[in-house]
Amino acid sequence: MGPETILSHLHRADGSATYTYNGYSIIGSVNGPIEVPRRDEHAEEATIEVNVRPAVGVGSPKERHLETLLHNTLRSITLIRSIPRTLVQITLQIRSLPEGEAAVGVNSSLTLLPHLLNTAVLALLSTSVPLATIATSVLVAVSPKAPTPLLSPTATELLRVKPIRSIHVFAFSGERKLLLNESDGAFSVNEWDEACEMAEEVCCKEGGVGLGEGMDVDGQQINMEGWLRDVVRRKVELEQRWRTAD
Amino acid sequence: MPRETEISVNERAFIQQALQENLRLDGRAFDAFRPLELTFGDEYGVADVQLGKTRVIARISVDVAVPPPERKFDGIFQIIAEFSPMASPAFEVGRPSDAEMVLSRILEKAIRRSNALDTESLCIIAGLKCFALRADVHIIDHDGGLVDASCIAVMAALQHFRRPDVVVEGEKATILSVREREPIPLSILHQPLCVSFSYFEDGEIFLIDANLSEEQVRNAEIIVTMNKHGEVCQIAKYGGATVDPLALLNCTNVALQKVKEMSKIIQGKLEADAKKRDAGGLMAELSAENER
Repeated sequence: MGPETILSHLHRADGSATYTYNGYSIIGSVNGPIEVPRRDEHAEEATIEVNVRPAVGVGSPKERHLETLLHNTLRSITLIRSIPRTLVQITLQIRSLPEGEAAVGVNSSLTLLPHLLNTAVLALLSTSVPLATIATSVLVAVSPKAPTPLLSPTATELLRVKPIRSIHVFAFSGERKLLLNESDGAFSVNEWDEACEMAEEVCCKEGGVGLGEGMDVDGQQINMEGWLRDVVRRKVELEQRWRTAD
Repeated sequence: MPRETEISVNERAFIQQALQENLRLDGRAFDAFRPLELTFGDEYGVADVQLGKTRVIARISVDVAVPPPERKFDGIFQIIAEFSPMASPAFEVGRPSDAEMVLSRILEKAIRRSNALDTESLCIIAGLKCFALRADVHIIDHDGGLVDASCIAVMAALQHFRRPDVVVEGEKATILSVREREPIPLSILHQPLCVSFSYFEDGEIFLIDANLSEEQVRNAEIIVTMNKHGEVCQIAKYGGATVDPLALLNCTNVALQKVKEMSKIIQGKLEADAKKRDAGGLMAELSAENER
């Protein structure tokens, strides 16, 4: 089972999405293309602004860091040159985090990052901002206690295999190109290669994955691209229902 | 940042004329709220309020802090309401708009200064440790009536919240986790709720719970905060038009009726939620709460 999504449920924003997965719940909204303030205006491309708002408290350097990572990734998949001198404003409001998230003892900005990126892509799709490709993202955790790296583990799974040696976030484009990688902890090149390969299988390949356990979530195998395509298919069906109705 | 789109002259005239003919655009009566929907999250202290198209999420969180030296026997309670571009592209991050100032000031007056929450119960060791409670108000969707919706959200979340129990031995305080001891509810002294009245035609017509387009047309606004016992906590008036004192008295009467209705809805939702959590009927045995 992939993440649960609701698309275009907010009234004021141009596009919006709610994403719920493994206890993470994030509301994303996109306004755009809209008027851009003079100081941010680019003559030949659109400006992308990302705001990450934590569930509790006001934004801190952690959120600013996440915003920078998201900004650079989203900029590379958006056709910014086709909507020059405009602003695409992305707001990501974290609604809830899984229980025991703080007790896991790993870099919490990394565990959050794939969920934020997936939400942002959903919100952009809902807004119909021109995109060059889609992006899907996944978290991989490596622990000496687990035989194979864990793919998008839940907070309880992470607690069970504590201490975690390293965690990696990978994002892939629709053309199987690596868009984003953030890693934390101690790992060898081989371990990174293995993690990257596993992430690529989950993010990109249509129709299931073939490696080890760890990928099974509730007995079903997850495939992020398949999931995203399914979400888009449902969106299009909903939008085109006036045509198909007889 | 783009400015809020102003309502067009035609639309303004249309709304005004309809009001003259005793009609509202969405067909409500002049003294009717939009349908109120209240849902609670899986965790304690998260309330999601939908008032028509307006949607507000309030979240209560708790931390341990040192109390300020001038208030040794009190805990800390803060309400933070920040707008984000999610509600409207006109809201800029880090630059509070007027609406945002009004919202945080009203919430401060209505809930914090009316002593809705007994802050003394948040004290752990006088002068050394206390609970610092914060309420974060997230505006998700904006279609007018933000003050009313936020107030409902914060009050519902406060009543839904459970703080961890604490054991004090001399100067050593131990916070007990949820697994060790069932968390306890906050002591709420009364439940203030806001009702906003919008005035039109120099105070001849007043509307309850105006939506965004009505808010843009109105002359003035009066926000009355009351609890269900009929005690007025605060009255705020924004905007230019003068208001007849008798009309103001009438407002408080109408507000009381609305506050009673809303309190009942909130109470019903809280009870339904408590029943859902109380699987097996063990909650009463787990509770470590003292009789007041």
